[in-house]
Amino acid sequence: MTSTARLRSAPVRTIEQRRQRRTAGLAALAIVTVLAASCSEHSVGPARTYDDYERKSRTSAEVALSAVETVRLLAETSSHGNAWGAYTGVSLSEQEDTLTEAEGDYASIQPPDQRSDDLRVKLLDLLGAATDHIAAVRVEARRGNLESLEQVAQPLTNDSAALQQFLNSIKR
Amino acid sequence: MKKILGVALGVLTAIGGFVDMGDLVANASTGARFDMNLAWVVIVGVVGIIVYAEMAGRVAALCGRPVFDLVRERLGPRFGLANLLASFFINMLTLTAEIAGVALSLSLVSSVNYVFLIPFVAFLVWLVCWRMKFETMERVFGLLGLCLLVFAVTVWKIGPDWNQLFSDATHPHVPHSETVFTYAYFGIALFGAAMTPYEVFFFSSGAVEDGWTKQDLGENKVNVLVGFPLGALLSLAIMACAHLVLAPRHISVDQLSQVALPVASVVGRLGLAIVILGIFAATFGAALETSLSAGYIVAQYLGWPWGKHGAPRTATRFHVVVLMAIIGAALFGVTGVDPVKVTEYSIVLSAAALPLTYFPILVIANDPRYVGADHTNGRFLNALASVYLVILVLVAVATIPLMIITKGGS
Repeated sequence: MTSTARLRSAPVRTIEQRRQRRTAGLAALAIVTVLAASCSEHSVGPARTYDDYERKSRTSAEVALSAVETVRLLAETSSHGNAWGAYTGVSLSEQEDTLTEAEGDYASIQPPDQRSDDLRVKLLDLLGAATDHIAAVRVEARRGNLESLEQVAQPLTNDSAALQQFLNSIKR
Repeated sequence: MKKILGVALGVLTAIGGFVDMGDLVANASTGARFDMNLAWVVIVGVVGIIVYAEMAGRVAALCGRPVFDLVRERLGPRFGLANLLASFFINMLTLTAEIAGVALSLSLVSSVNYVFLIPFVAFLVWLVCWRMKFETMERVFGLLGLCLLVFAVTVWKIGPDWNQLFSDATHPHVPHSETVFTYAYFGIALFGAAMTPYEVFFFSSGAVEDGWTKQDLGENKVNVLVGFPLGALLSLAIMACAHLVLAPRHISVDQLSQVALPVASVVGRLGLAIVILGIFAATFGAALETSLSAGYIVAQYLGWPWGKHGAPRTATRFHVVVLMAIIGAALFGVTGVDPVKVTEYSIVLSAAALPLTYFPILVIANDPRYVGADHTNGRFLNALASVYLVILVLVAVATIPLMIITKGGS
């Protein structure tokens, strides 16, 4: 078959079919883009109302509480000789990164009103303190002083309690 | 005696190879967040994979051709292409997650950032795919994966109230802190982790690689009927560890290191070493399976020579696809995407594509031209498989809306 004959016998796509294909292609591209974007950590959107801001505050506080409690458990485990330096160091760095990102993301959300401002100040104080205390534990672990980690992590007990209190004070 | 040993080894390999990055993340995060309220999904998922993996193994053993090879022939090129595109995309996400999982496990013993380890891991995966014999590869990583039994030891050492634990698992409810939507979303993630499509592609292609015949149908049954349920118990042990150690402390699982933390805190250093070796083996084994699956599905759809049973020069295009898939996944991994998020999306999206994978298996396993009149599905199996197909369709329809409503389960 010559190329001209092949062209003639090939099914001709209508404008509608081409449009459908283009739409399907764009939809697939959109899904891939959304997925790629959402795989990056802690993406945050704007908060337009107090309720919205409060919900985002809760999410950030929950992330922080999880990081604080993970570090407390890690410190306890390492102090008792149940984990080695590399595992402890890497795990602590991960939790510190998680908390720092959560803090940065939360700080970047524009509070919509005065009540939100109050909430913001309160939570950012808690997140800042927790970040400092986790950094202190990480520094101690990187120096190889695993046995003293539980002691260095002591202030995190208060951070944990304060975060829980904060979570209890705002609505779900 | 040799036969029994072979079957036992197959079962042990099936148990050790049952868990991958998706299972580790999904079971630990649901255990920490939903306690044992989603344990039933693991059971539903494992029954589903038993039903369909047995069919896939039977089809491969009886006609010497894997399922994907038959999909195009039996259901046409269009359906085959849709299946290929969806499966390949999900397989690539899974491969990225597995390679990142291996790198993360190595970083926990070396302190080197996992991103720097990804190219090294990718090279190792390719080298094993290229050089190691199929059976050796399957056995080594499957058996090393048994190290994950340390999760069961951890649960036993914690000494929970077993009645309470059983009651929690058998009386599921949506926790007060969660919505029905997040509960359903995580349920789908667990279901997707248990029924990941690559498992079936690899299982049926592996049966052909191993040269299964009619005489191996018994081994096929034992592997799936004994190995998979025991593998599911391993998944439940991971969930129980997170429920017992992490949930009371309000710890949510966002990192792979947190999955190992209950073992370290309860069993100690030796337990930590064993669990990290187990995670390494499970993710490395799954990285090999997904790499090869990428080659299998493309080569089988396009009718190219494929497999590891011959010299690489006899299946060059198959090996090129495997290599390109590994490179592609490694490149995606080094961009710094969150490996745990990639894992979550890969298992949830695989749930969305499940009917495309499992429907053709059901059709072919009922076709006497492929399996012979004596080996088509019985009534009970067809009824069960049909129920599962309905579940798969419902799950597939619900996945994307739930992903949007729950903002990816957050």
